[in-house]
Amino acid sequence: MASTASPGKTAAALVAGWVLPGAGHAVLGRLRRGLVFFALVMGSFGLGVAHDGRLALYSSREWLLSSMQVLANVGVGPVDTIARVSVYGEPAYVRRDGDPDPKQEARIETFRARWRSALSIYGTAYLWTAGLMNLLLLLDVWDLSRGRKD
Amino acid sequence: MSSHVVHLVLYSAIVAAFFAVLTRRERREQFRFGGLVFFGMTGGVLLLAYLMFPFPR
Repeated sequence: MASTASPGKTAAALVAGWVLPGAGHAVLGRLRRGLVFFALVMGSFGLGVAHDGRLALYSSREWLLSSMQVLANVGVGPVDTIARVSVYGEPAYVRRDGDPDPKQEARIETFRARWRSALSIYGTAYLWTAGLMNLLLLLDVWDLSRGRKD
Repeated sequence: MSSHVVHLVLYSAIVAAFFAVLTRRERREQFRFGGLVFFGMTGGVLLLAYLMFPFPR
């Protein structure tokens, strides 16, 4: 039977796993597996950013789809915020259509420009996959720490 | 890099490796399962592409 981690260690592993993909497994003593996961998730994320992947913005017009897209992006951790600062010039997560604020207009134009890119369809798939893979890793970390897996 | 086929292979490889390491513990099992996922994805897409060939846009 696999051992159970303390609540503190479980919380630390979950937080570490979100902040740095694979780190949750490393905290639980699965360093090699954590490194493989880090390479796969960050590789997918890097390909996504390099291929003009859409960093989703929440919109009240399409609240369900856009919030799911943002969730898939955010799953990869703080590196998503860094990518947003690099792309939008600020940690943007929301778009307000019709807002006369020039910052909002610039944000929406950047979003649309990436969307028009021929590579965007690939990049977006890589970005969402990276985020969703990391969310699955957090569930795996939870199972490991509860002794359901070894 | 804008080749559909290159991205198909690359994406399938990433997903296959991820699920192989996530769900299997033995190295041999990981290769077996990873190969199954990889060839299932690439083969499935190519098969679908051939099936769609007679129906252009």
